[in-house]
Parts: sequence; structure tokens; C-alpha cells
Amino acid sequence: MGAVLAKDADHPATGAAAKELLCSSAEITTGDENAQAIVHVLTCGSVDDGKSTLIGRLLWDVADLPEDTRASVAETLLPDGRIDLSRLVDGLAAERAQGITIDIAWRYVDAGARRYVIIDSPGHEQYTRNMATGASHADVAIMLVDARHGVKPQTRRHAAILGLLGVRRVILAVNKMDLVGGNEARFREIEADFRSLTARFAFEEAAAIPVVATTGDNVARSSSTMTWYEGPTLIEQLNRTPPRGSVEAASFRMPVQLVVRRPPDFRGLAGTVTSGSIAVGQTVIDTTSGRRAAVRRIATMDGDLEAAHCGQAVVLQLDADLDIARGAILATPDDPAIRTKRLDARLVWMSETPFDLQRRLFLRSATDLVPVSSVRVSARLDLETLTEIEASDCVHNDVVLAAITLRRPVALDRFADHKGTGALVLVDALTGATVAGGTAVALHEAAGQEEVGFRLTTAMLAEGVCAGVEPTSAEFRRRAIALLKVLKAAGVDAALEANDEEMNGAYLQPSAHPG
Amino acid sequence: MSMTKPISRLDVLEAESIHIFREAAAQFRKPVLLYSIGKDSTVLLHLARKAFFPQRIPFPLLHIDTTWKFRDMIAFRDRTARDLGLDLIVHVNEAGRAQGINPIDYAPSLYTDVMKTEGLRQALDRHGFDAAFGGARRDEEASRAKERVFSFRTAEHRWDPRHQRPEMWNLLNGRLGTGESARVFPLSNWTEGDVWRYVLREKLDVVPLYLAAIRPTIERNGMLLVLDDDRMRLAEGEKIVPRRVRFRTLGCWPLTAAIESEAADLLSVVTETLAARTSERQGRLIDHDQAGAMEKKKQEGYF
Repeated sequence: MGAVLAKDADHPATGAAAKELLCSSAEITTGDENAQAIVHVLTCGSVDDGKSTLIGRLLWDVADLPEDTRASVAETLLPDGRIDLSRLVDGLAAERAQGITIDIAWRYVDAGARRYVIIDSPGHEQYTRNMATGASHADVAIMLVDARHGVKPQTRRHAAILGLLGVRRVILAVNKMDLVGGNEARFREIEADFRSLTARFAFEEAAAIPVVATTGDNVARSSSTMTWYEGPTLIEQLNRTPPRGSVEAASFRMPVQLVVRRPPDFRGLAGTVTSGSIAVGQTVIDTTSGRRAAVRRIATMDGDLEAAHCGQAVVLQLDADLDIARGAILATPDDPAIRTKRLDARLVWMSETPFDLQRRLFLRSATDLVPVSSVRVSARLDLETLTEIEASDCVHNDVVLAAITLRRPVALDRFADHKGTGALVLVDALTGATVAGGTAVALHEAAGQEEVGFRLTTAMLAEGVCAGVEPTSAEFRRRAIALLKVLKAAGVDAALEANDEEMNGAYLQPSAHPG
Repeated sequence: MSMTKPISRLDVLEAESIHIFREAAAQFRKPVLLYSIGKDSTVLLHLARKAFFPQRIPFPLLHIDTTWKFRDMIAFRDRTARDLGLDLIVHVNEAGRAQGINPIDYAPSLYTDVMKTEGLRQALDRHGFDAAFGGARRDEEASRAKERVFSFRTAEHRWDPRHQRPEMWNLLNGRLGTGESARVFPLSNWTEGDVWRYVLREKLDVVPLYLAAIRPTIERNGMLLVLDDDRMRLAEGEKIVPRRVRFRTLGCWPLTAAIESEAADLLSVVTETLAARTSERQGRLIDHDQAGAMEKKKQEGYF
């Protein structure tokens, strides 16, 4: 980045000074790919375990805090003369006093070159729902326990949710070690409980660390009293989290968000690469149609790219017009996404309204919105015992296994294979509310290619019923929907080519739910 | 294929914002970009251009003009719209203007409510926009820390923080309930430092008020105000003093405090900002008007 700036003599930020600034502020390639990473940290635990104090301690010891913030926190001391570190995180306490529920709070903490995004759900209400939401964004989770109480049922719940939502790295912070005299045996006992718990989930890394949040022992500096502990501090362990997009072993996926056009003839597929990478000249396949084409151009406003990698937002121009629209998933032909109308999913039920068979739902995948014809709950996970219990319904904060049938095929992956294209949410068709979030665990491939029978392109509409009407106008849309309704009423499986999932999804006739 | 390209923090944030722009453009029927001329809007606009390149931005820009913006801001706005060929809508709450609602004779909260919040509601309703992009960041203020990327408003443009939709992964659910509209915040995960670094990296033009210069100022309630025209009445003892100042955040001139600074170019500003000792919104008088001000404003439809 410094090099780019240095080229431009007209810009105020030129030369060595700019380069130095940007280097020191973590905006340059350093070779150490962890150096400028953003690490999303979910904190799980209750206020009683000292969560606010631990987050406060992290901020106090490593964050580049404004001086006025430090001074104002240092002003009032606790009865024992220590600084009340929890005040650093209580910006939200005032709101709590006003009766405003804080479900999830995001804090952005710069510690030198690193950015920690601390995701915290302070409240107890809707805990599972909020923790699941937070977990979906987390690279690593800190599970907090009180050394006097050890692993509790709550800890098991946390581990279960983290496991289900694909968090691969967890840290058990055994806090208040000073209250058990810094006793190693006590720590080892808790650590053993933690190991037997985490063994049940597919965590890549699980570390237990004895800490004292109030004094900072083993948070950012090694404890001088618990010398028996030779492992990493909490910060060192957090810093081991690899940055997103740094692992590129997985095969290529790009869910298509929309089609961008530029007259006279540019038509590109816009999306973010969620897995792997793709280069100009490589062949991609659209799972929904089974059609293939080669990548001709990877366009961005900063110039064309030779290759696009995981995490990059790009526009792909193909060498053949595949008539692909929003909802498609581009992949390489050796390992395409799966086209399915039936899937098994794990769901966290988030709606305050209990599960209802009659409710009209949509399934939202990476970029598609598909009408659901049925959802059948088969089992509920008991978060205390971590066993599955046969069930046919659920209420909010339940974690269930469900079989979902869709009205038309959707492109998906198993979440275990591809997070970005295997996650889903269920949306209430009437209110728009997000009623559940989940992961695809099994996909039953749709037999044959049931293509949408008839695709109405903007060009067709412009020459026909919408002749003379501005394509972006409400009138154009109104006429298109009217035509679509007529076609569907006549039994034609039609859809609009335009990026308008509302039109494509909402006007399917609801049919009776089975069961 | 092995990983080769390390992706920088700004690259990650940029890609995420582009993703959000595209999701909103695909899901909402008639979005609009709320353009407030400041550095965040400048970055927002730049990201919107990137999101749809090589196509033009497929929605208009909307500026709610309170009639008390710095003249430099208006000039910058019009130049930007012209240079980039943007579709810019400027809306003034004419009823408020006719009543003479101004930030000098009226409490900042009332003035803001009428000229900004009410003006915004009028414009959104008049044009039938169902989604509005804004440059708000979660790091700005406590009540924003829990804000969603897609944030929904009732038909009366009210925000109900108790019933926000959970947002999992990067799956943004933009399906509207009856009468609802959405606010979309592509810069949710950016910090003030990120915005400035990005301005530098992308070589973006910003309003000159962000750079230190000698300007006519008065000191009031411990804040430095820059006089932009002759509408301000001086209280007894107040003197107009030329000071070298710049702004960290831009709003209506009688309500936005300047800071003394020598940072006359972008690089110095960024350096100063990254070493800042105080939080950004200190310069907004409106936020100090009443406890929990932002939360209340937002529930009533403030952006």
C-alpha cells in the first residue's frame, strides 16, 4: 500500500513518511500474515464469572485506548483500591438501566497491528439465540469459568453451541485462580473436565488457561505466582488464531449476488469468493443448470485480476452467457456445490413464536431465497446432557435437527465442507423475521435437472408487455409480476431473470403442508 | 493451490462492505444512499462505486440539507455529484424552514429532530425508498454497538431495539414486513482509524474542513465553534478569534466543535487521529444534549 501511495506525487500522503505511517498502522504486507489480521473473539460466560472484568482487563492491558478513557476509568477505585476494569465495558450498562436490552455488542480493539473484534452478549435473556448469532461470526471463543465452580452445565451449553456453529478454536479461561490459592491440582481437575467435554466436538484447538482477570495474571503477561503453568497467556493463545481466508485448501465457491451490466455488452457475475480461488482461463460450473464456462475476466474498479481468492469481492465475466442469476453458486467442475430440494439441517430456533407447520417460510442460502414446502423437526438437542431427544416441535432457543423440503432446488454445500455455502437461515414469509439459523448437515441431491421451465429476461419483457417502460421503474416490475402470475397460474414454472427474488419467490402458490 | 496473497485489514473490510452493498441492491426494491458529505459518506460512496463496477451505482444519493451545513460542504457535495455523474437528491424540510427552526434559537435536539430526522422521514416517504444506506459505524457510540447491518424500521420509521433480527454469518435477510423499511450500514465494522487509512490508501478527496486552517472561531461551553456566516449571535464576552483548527466530524456548523490542530494535510490528520486521545463524538454537541440521546434519536427515526 505504501508503494502505491509513493507513486502518486500529487497526493498529500507521499513518500517515506506515508509509508512509515501505513506500515506502523498495520496497513501493509509485512510477510507475517497474522500481523494485520482481524480476529473475531466471542466471549461466553456470565457476569458472575468475571466476564466484564476479563474483557476490561484485555482492553486495559493490550488495547490502544484513548487516554481520556483510561483516566476516567482510573478515577474511581474499588474498595480494595484496584481499578474497576469492568467499567471499560459498561458503556452499555447505562442502557441496561434504561431498560434497553442489549443482545449483542461489538467492540473493536486495536492492539498494535492486530484488531480484535470482541463479540459479547451481556444479557441472560435469549442467551442461546444471542450466543449462536455471535458464534456464527467468531474465529475463536473464550469460555469463562470460575475456578471455584469449575465446568458447569452452562459451560456444556456453550461448548455445544460453539461446536454446532462451526467455531473451531476454543479457550477455557479458568478465572479467579487467586480464590483457590493458585492451586495447580484444582486447575488440572477443571482442565480434565474441559477435555472430556471438548472431545465430543470437532474443535481444532482447545486450550485451558489459569487466569486472574483482576490482576492480569496470564491474560497479557505470565503469572509470577502460578509458576507451574508453562502454557501461553490468553493473548498469546488468541494470537495463534489464523486469520480468515489464510487457508485455501478448499475448492472454489462463489455465490452469485447479482448481475452487473455495462452497455454495450458487458455482463458480469458479482459475488464474494467464499472458498478457494479462481483464475482467468479456469472453467467454472453453475450447479443449478450444470452448465460450464471459462472465466474470461475478473473485474474490479482497481483493475482486472489474474486470480480471485477467498474473501475477495469481484465480478467474473465468463466466455459464454450461462444465463446465471442471483442464487447460483459457481464452483470448479471437479467439486461442484450440490443441487437439492431436500436437506437435513441443524437449526437454532430463534423466533419467539414456537415452530408451526403452517407457517410459510423461505430458506435463505448464501444468496438464494427459496420457498419452503415443509419443515419436520426430528430431534431436539438437550444442551445439558448433550444427547438428542426425539421431538416433533420446538420453541425459541431450542437446537433441533430438521428435515427441510423446498419448492424448487437450491445450490448448497454441507456446512462441514463449506461454511460459506452451507449456512442458512429460515425467514418468515409474511413478517420477514428471521425465525431460525442453521447449518446443512445432509443434502439429498435433486434427481435430474429440473430447470425453471421458462425464464423471463429483461430483454424479453422490454420487447413485450413492458415495451416503452423504463426497466428500473415500478411499472416495469408491476407488469413483469402480472405476467409471471399469469404464467404460474397456467402451470408454467417461470421465473424472472432479473435480480428480484421477491418476484421469483413470493408468488409461488402456497400448497397444503404435508403432515 | 496454496495461499499466496495476504489480505490486509482494509481489504477485508472493503470486501465485506461491497458484499453488503450488493446484498442490499439485490434484495431491496428501491434503495438510496444517504449522503452526508463527511469522510464516512465519502468512503461509503467510493465503496458503492466499487460494488457495482463497471456498472453505474444503481441507486440515487440523498442529502438531507438542514440549511446549516458549512458552505465548503455544499460545494464539495455538488462538485462530487458533478464529477462522478451521480443522481443526487437534495431535500430540505420546508415546513421546518418556514417555521424558522434553527440551531441557535432552539435546543439542538429539537432542531435536529425537525430539520434532520423529520426531513429524512419526509424524503424517504416522498420517494418511496425501502432501504437507505448510511455510513454509521458500530464503534461510534454505545447504542450503535448493537446495531445490525440491515436494521429495520417500522412504517413510522421507528427503531425497535428489542426486536432486531439476529444476523448470522454474512446471510443478510432483507425481506420486509408490511410497511417496514431498512437502514443498511456497510461500514458497521469499520473504525474511525480504518476510515482515515482508507481515505489515504484510495486517495479520496475530503471536505477541506478536515484539514487545519486559520478560521474565525468562538469559544462556547468549552467547545470551539467556527463561524461559517453571519447568522451566529455572539453572547456577551464572546470574541471572534482566528484559530488554526480542523474538524474530526462534520455536521451543522453551529453544532459541530472544531479542534485546534496543525494538521494541514491528510497524512498529518490521519497521524493525529490514530494517536487520538479522545473519542470522536466529543465534537458533536447534540450527543451531550441529554442522556442516552442517540438511543432516543434512533428510536424516533434518526439515522
